[in-house]
Amino acid sequence: MNESNDNHEAASVCTPEQETALLLELCEAQIDSALRDSDRSVEVLTNVFLQLIAAVDTLGEMAKKIAPPGQVPDGSTTQSAMQSGTATSVEPAAEITERCGNLTEQIDSAVVAFQFYDKLTQRLDHVRHSLTTLALFVCDRERAQNGDHWNKLRTSLRRLYRTADERKVFERVAGQVHVGESTAQESYAAQGSVELF
Amino acid sequence: MSGVILAVDDSESIRQMVRHTLEHAGYSVVQAADGVAALDYAKLRGADLVLTDINMPNLDGIALCKELRNLPHYKGVPILMLTTESEPDMKVLGKQAGATGWLVKPFNPSQLLATLARVL
Repeated sequence: MNESNDNHEAASVCTPEQETALLLELCEAQIDSALRDSDRSVEVLTNVFLQLIAAVDTLGEMAKKIAPPGQVPDGSTTQSAMQSGTATSVEPAAEITERCGNLTEQIDSAVVAFQFYDKLTQRLDHVRHSLTTLALFVCDRERAQNGDHWNKLRTSLRRLYRTADERKVFERVAGQVHVGESTAQESYAAQGSVELF
Repeated sequence: MSGVILAVDDSESIRQMVRHTLEHAGYSVVQAADGVAALDYAKLRGADLVLTDINMPNLDGIALCKELRNLPHYKGVPILMLTTESEPDMKVLGKQAGATGWLVKPFNPSQLLATLARVL
């Protein structure tokens, strides 16, 4: 008998609860594996992004030395620059300064966007934890057949989802049992907010 | 701007974004990947401000805040929590632990710098 058949036989003796737990464990493993792969790529991406910013800064500084601010070539300076033979370096330098300035403004937006990965890993970690909790729960037949225990499970999972976006999803899908608690809208209004105590 | 900022976060990308933002503005940045590493640093050296995440392995941001407040040279140092958490209950815990303020991720660089300038 080959390995595939052995596995099939092993699976066939599992109870439905054990089978469910096994499949939930599989989901966890997939999330874990995907996150580990992503970690490496995001690290490379972050380093390259920061090197690009440093390069933009350096270019901007070099261009300022060639064409200091306030000496951006207008007609007369261009003419004098041409006479002195520096026209070919001053005008492009001024343009580089301007373009570097524009890029610097956009970098702030990129820094905000770059934080997506931290949020993503945190949310997936919560999902992974939910799957573990659910797998343990379904294996306990007595608890799994009691409606009150399911409600308690939901309540404990809800506490796990602490970011605004997670609350939004939770309350849309399973929030009907938590009437009277704070709404998701209150939470996501807080994103990016600052509060000093 | 000048001063030493102790930036604590278990996310490498967040630490890099914080470091870039603060160093670009003239601050010196010391990084720590969790509360234990931050506390080890703080026991030996001072900082002008601590910027910390909450959910971290080994020692979380709330516990770190409490530990820092027990160090004489960190009693008056501003401690800002930088976190995805926005639940009022968590903010209360942060306040009780001695945090100075609460910033919800994702942070905007200019907003972060303005907040630092206010508390330093």
